[in-house]
Amino acid sequence: MKTTRRKFLSSSGAATAAVGFPSIIPSSALGNADKPAPSNRIVMGGIGIGNMGRGDHGAFLGKNDVQYVAVCDARKGAMNQAKAKTDAKYGNKDCKTYADYRDILSRDDIDAVHIATPDHWHAQMIIDSCRHGKDVFCQKPESLTLGEGSLMVETAKRYGRVVSGGSQRVLQDYKGTVLRCWNGSYGKINSINVNVGPMSQPCNLPPENQPDDIDWEMWLGPAPWAPYNSKRCSGSYSTSGNSWRSYIDYSGGGMTDWGAHHFGGATFAVDVRELQPNKVVLDEKDGKKFVSLKYPNGIEITHNKPGVGQMHVGRDNVQREGKEVPKYAGSGGISGDFIDCVKTRNKPFRHIDYAINSMAVPHLATIAYKLNRSLEWDSAKQQFVNDAEADRLRNRARREPWQI
Amino acid sequence: MLDQAFEALKTYKWGVDPKSIKAIQDAVVATHGDTAARKELESKLAAVLATDVPRAAKDSVCRFLKTIGTAHSVEALAKLLHDEELSHMARHALQTNNAPEAVKALVGAIEKAPKKIKIGIISSLGARGSDVPIAPLAKALEDKDPEISNAGALALGAIGSSEAVKALAGAKATDENKIAVCDAMFQCAENMLNHGKKSEAKAIYSTVLKIGPTKAAKIAADLGVKACT
Repeated sequence: MKTTRRKFLSSSGAATAAVGFPSIIPSSALGNADKPAPSNRIVMGGIGIGNMGRGDHGAFLGKNDVQYVAVCDARKGAMNQAKAKTDAKYGNKDCKTYADYRDILSRDDIDAVHIATPDHWHAQMIIDSCRHGKDVFCQKPESLTLGEGSLMVETAKRYGRVVSGGSQRVLQDYKGTVLRCWNGSYGKINSINVNVGPMSQPCNLPPENQPDDIDWEMWLGPAPWAPYNSKRCSGSYSTSGNSWRSYIDYSGGGMTDWGAHHFGGATFAVDVRELQPNKVVLDEKDGKKFVSLKYPNGIEITHNKPGVGQMHVGRDNVQREGKEVPKYAGSGGISGDFIDCVKTRNKPFRHIDYAINSMAVPHLATIAYKLNRSLEWDSAKQQFVNDAEADRLRNRARREPWQI
Repeated sequence: MLDQAFEALKTYKWGVDPKSIKAIQDAVVATHGDTAARKELESKLAAVLATDVPRAAKDSVCRFLKTIGTAHSVEALAKLLHDEELSHMARHALQTNNAPEAVKALVGAIEKAPKKIKIGIISSLGARGSDVPIAPLAKALEDKDPEISNAGALALGAIGSSEAVKALAGAKATDENKIAVCDAMFQCAENMLNHGKKSEAKAIYSTVLKIGPTKAAKIAADLGVKACT
């Protein structure tokens, strides 16, 4: 079933009729102590279901209070594998497959979606999902550009949606640092350093024969047109030219890919998740350029500061009063946190506001490096101070017909 | 180095190493604050767009012009707006070009643009957010084609002015454009709220509730009304 843009933005619930019901109702569908009845389960669909999406899909499938009913991917192979995995889990053939994510959003029976596409799709899909009343779990990095971040935050708030980012490492990888920052043993904190990279690069890979497995137009989506090349769309975690993570049109490179974890951990540790930096200072030491991002409250996050270790915290070590460290709700890590919040309507651990504030750090640093100068950022206005040229780099035009 | 990079553009097909034109990006950065050097660079880039260099070269030129483009390069970019292959990258450069001529070029290209390109141009006008005439977007909103109507609605929402509200409130909301129209009206209402205009915002939410919003839009409208109290 192909949803046209016309149908997609219509209010018709006709797509639901095509979903149908299983001819035999499994006993699990009636509910018991371990398995909530269908009316109490979160009905989910997955968009972008290979690589990281495969892991997320598995995590959600493993939850008794989730019913997975649909999968979507631009690659038929990944999509069919996900359907088979879903059907095997439930012992039926009911999981529907879609080449176009808008078909999933048009289904009134779906409560929430999980998005694990390449980064250039995230804003479009999160915003479209909210407009269709879906809650969203989206893999990190949640934003490709600085400008689309605030649009995602505003749309999630507008529709009262639970939107969670997907960096499981923010809470998992930096526990010791976070604990010492939050329990007061580090004393007054003034800085934290993140070492990560590289930034993404221009891509001009040669054309290759396009396999039948992939819907290339849908893979590219709002990104500029380019010929198919297997490295251009590879989901490899490399950022050195062998995957979409290497290239500007689809990713911020290691700076935002691993950066989402590291900067997420740093902003959490020094508790600036509700803020964005207001100064981006480009500096040089020992012949190496680095950036210091200064917050209005005096905290500084440095990027690749020579001689400073990963997640090193600048502090006075004078014991201060501690505060309770935030943790996931529910059970089962960040995916469990999301499901719990869908039920309670509370803010998830990586609420989209926090995700976007932490993603602003690598985006701002990237623009400073690219323009080779320091910048001032007005987070309230979401624009640079007296720097029209830097403002131009906040956003990119979306390839027609995509619009947010 | 810069001359060599411009020479490399002539044969810059897919597959050629981007390093061969990196000197142009370096010049974009290095000429910051040097009006004369910038103008010279922009003129050279604009001139490339009028030649028969490969598509990948023109794509790259548009990317450079995104950062440095002024009124001087608008005409060269405007000529690409109806080109099915290059329209997007021409918009990429024009969307953030501060010159009023860029708006004129985008508006002027709407009427004769094929549907898909028209949607892109409307989207770029909306993304500019200010100094954009409302009339062509209002006309798009009234288009019989629901995809063009949706594009017009979302562009008006992105602009969010009182004039945009008038156009949206006067539009016929159909099942096919309702999600976009409601979202656009919400964006306008939020803009009013941000400027302390609570009663105007509340009026917009009330209008949305009267047109029979979707379940998601009803929730949004109710949240909006609460925000106005």
